[in-house]
Amino acid sequence: MDSGGKSGDEKKQERKEREGNVAMSASEDVAVRLIQVAKSYGDVEVLQSFDLQVREGEFVVLLGPSGCGKSTILKLIAGLEEASYGEIHVAGELVNYVRPRDRNVAMVFQNYALYPHMSVRDNISFPLKMTRRPRIKRSAIDERTAEAAAIVNLTEFLDRKPGQLSGGQRQRVALARAIIRQPEVFLMDEPLSNLDALLRADMRASLLEVHARIQKATLYVTHDQIEAMTMADRVVVIKQGRTQQIGTPQELYTTPANTFVAQFIGSPKMAMHKTSVDGDGTVKFAGLSLKLNTDIKPEPKAAVTVGVRPSSLKIAAEPDRQACFAGTVERRDYVGSDSYLEVQLATGLHIVARTAADSWFAVGDIVHIAAEPGAFHLFDEVGNRLCGASMVMSDR
Amino acid sequence: MKLRRVAPTNSGLRKPRAAIALAYAVLLVGVAVALVPFLYVLSTALKETTSLFSYPPDWIPSPVYWGNFESLLADHPFVRWTFNTLFVAGAVTALKLWFDSMAGYALAKMEFTGKRGVALLFLLSVAIPISALIIPLFFVIRYLGLLNTYWALILPPLANPLGIFMARSFIVSIPDDLEASARLDGASEFTIYRKIVLPLIRPGLVVLGMFTFMLQYTSLIWPLIAVQDSKRQVLAVGISGLQSAFLQDWGLLSAGMLLAAIPITVIFLVVQRAFVVNDLSGALKE
Repeated sequence: MDSGGKSGDEKKQERKEREGNVAMSASEDVAVRLIQVAKSYGDVEVLQSFDLQVREGEFVVLLGPSGCGKSTILKLIAGLEEASYGEIHVAGELVNYVRPRDRNVAMVFQNYALYPHMSVRDNISFPLKMTRRPRIKRSAIDERTAEAAAIVNLTEFLDRKPGQLSGGQRQRVALARAIIRQPEVFLMDEPLSNLDALLRADMRASLLEVHARIQKATLYVTHDQIEAMTMADRVVVIKQGRTQQIGTPQELYTTPANTFVAQFIGSPKMAMHKTSVDGDGTVKFAGLSLKLNTDIKPEPKAAVTVGVRPSSLKIAAEPDRQACFAGTVERRDYVGSDSYLEVQLATGLHIVARTAADSWFAVGDIVHIAAEPGAFHLFDEVGNRLCGASMVMSDR
Repeated sequence: MKLRRVAPTNSGLRKPRAAIALAYAVLLVGVAVALVPFLYVLSTALKETTSLFSYPPDWIPSPVYWGNFESLLADHPFVRWTFNTLFVAGAVTALKLWFDSMAGYALAKMEFTGKRGVALLFLLSVAIPISALIIPLFFVIRYLGLLNTYWALILPPLANPLGIFMARSFIVSIPDDLEASARLDGASEFTIYRKIVLPLIRPGLVVLGMFTFMLQYTSLIWPLIAVQDSKRQVLAVGISGLQSAFLQDWGLLSAGMLLAAIPITVIFLVVQRAFVVNDLSGALKE
């Protein structure tokens, strides 16, 4: 995905193609469209030529490590930051020079950003009270406040101050304040990051319920892959201000675009092993040949990386027909539903494989590992995906 | 086995008696230092000036003499001075809180060209002593034709930038997300200032207000120069004028000081309830 090092002509060509794509899809129901948006603070580029389209009603998660620029994207769409380059469209309208309040977007902040001196009722109704031309009638404000509070189950807390609420309730106030505006687009900046695990799971369900009910485009920022995988229609993986991959959670998991996505998605992360293509064009992993799932023929002697997820490997005590490699258990991590074994293969390579939680394997045991068909992922020298691969059993 | 009952002790926590006694002694000295001058003024105000210098001094006046207060209220425009002082100090405080909080908001939360330069200029002007400014200030006020008016007393203190820095420091502590959220909710810059920022820095503004009011209430040098008209004079100037080169009426002076202390004490007692810690709880995640 990295386009660094391209010539000026190539970049121009790429831009034309991209604009062409955007123009072609302009007729669709697109709630948010970002075209080559860039943002820099002085010499520091936090976002580089970022493109994205979010359809109406779609739940898109921006996923990436801290400081990758994902929150900046929300601020740019909201108008809280000005883009250094590129176009931002909301509901078909170019909004680069439109004031935040006129962009028809609502944001739930990483910190809830509730007004501590106002009651829950006043917090929720604040956006309506601020609406001018036309001014909203008091009775209508009361009605909509009650509606928004009901959606997030806050009706009985309307007269409390934020300081008297629990974390989850505060989060719901912030959500109600966003809902009441009836915006085209919801922007959510890590809204669940400080809640405890149990509450977070509950709030995830509540958020999805609210989303299903109001059916508005939502851009949700998180660094938590579980949140991304469980909530998103599509996930955008970002690293250092650049898109790494856009796809459904399943696409990201099964066909990661590069080594970064491959390792960022999935827990425990995908094991990676650097190797090179043999003279005959085959790729070896732990001394065994891999059968590539495509017709791609890697250049002989090219450096490649082979990845395999722990969940794609099975462990058996005795060698069977499917077992590929044998190794010694070096560590055992019990996580409740499963156990993960770190196994050192005969070639010295370490891989992690999943096994049943109640399996009796212990450190020092010799185990046999089998790989599912297509368990292996092949990446080129710079880390971009080449194809999936399976183990060739006849080589054993 | 018989269990032995152990008496609960907290000897590890209890301070030795001597330390407590010492602490009380130090506190008593502090109280005496603060109270004795006040009691002396009270005693002097309730005595005839002639009996002031008796030895040993009579701390408790007997009989109580009210003549000083009568003379102060009947022979001097004391009520007028009090009104002038309250009016000027009130006006300065209100205007300063308004301007300082707006300027503080701009310095704390807005980005504009020359922001650092403006802040630096304000900071430099804090360092200039008032005595160095009095003569140029007098000429400016005279040029504007404002001598002997309330404006002469109200306008110059407004230019003191110390309050701006205090207001700025209160406002900086308000999380940026609150304003960002209000901005998205449709609030204008002024609405953010008025509806979000002002309520949140209220305790700080109360402190700044009290500070400004006290400073104005006791201000002597500038009012002495700017206003000669007895009808526009403030308490500090009026009371200081009660003494002359030939006659020191200590009883009258003390009565003036005592009466002058009443309004500010009442105001302080009323306002002190607002001296509470800025409560941002619930605004953000904890």
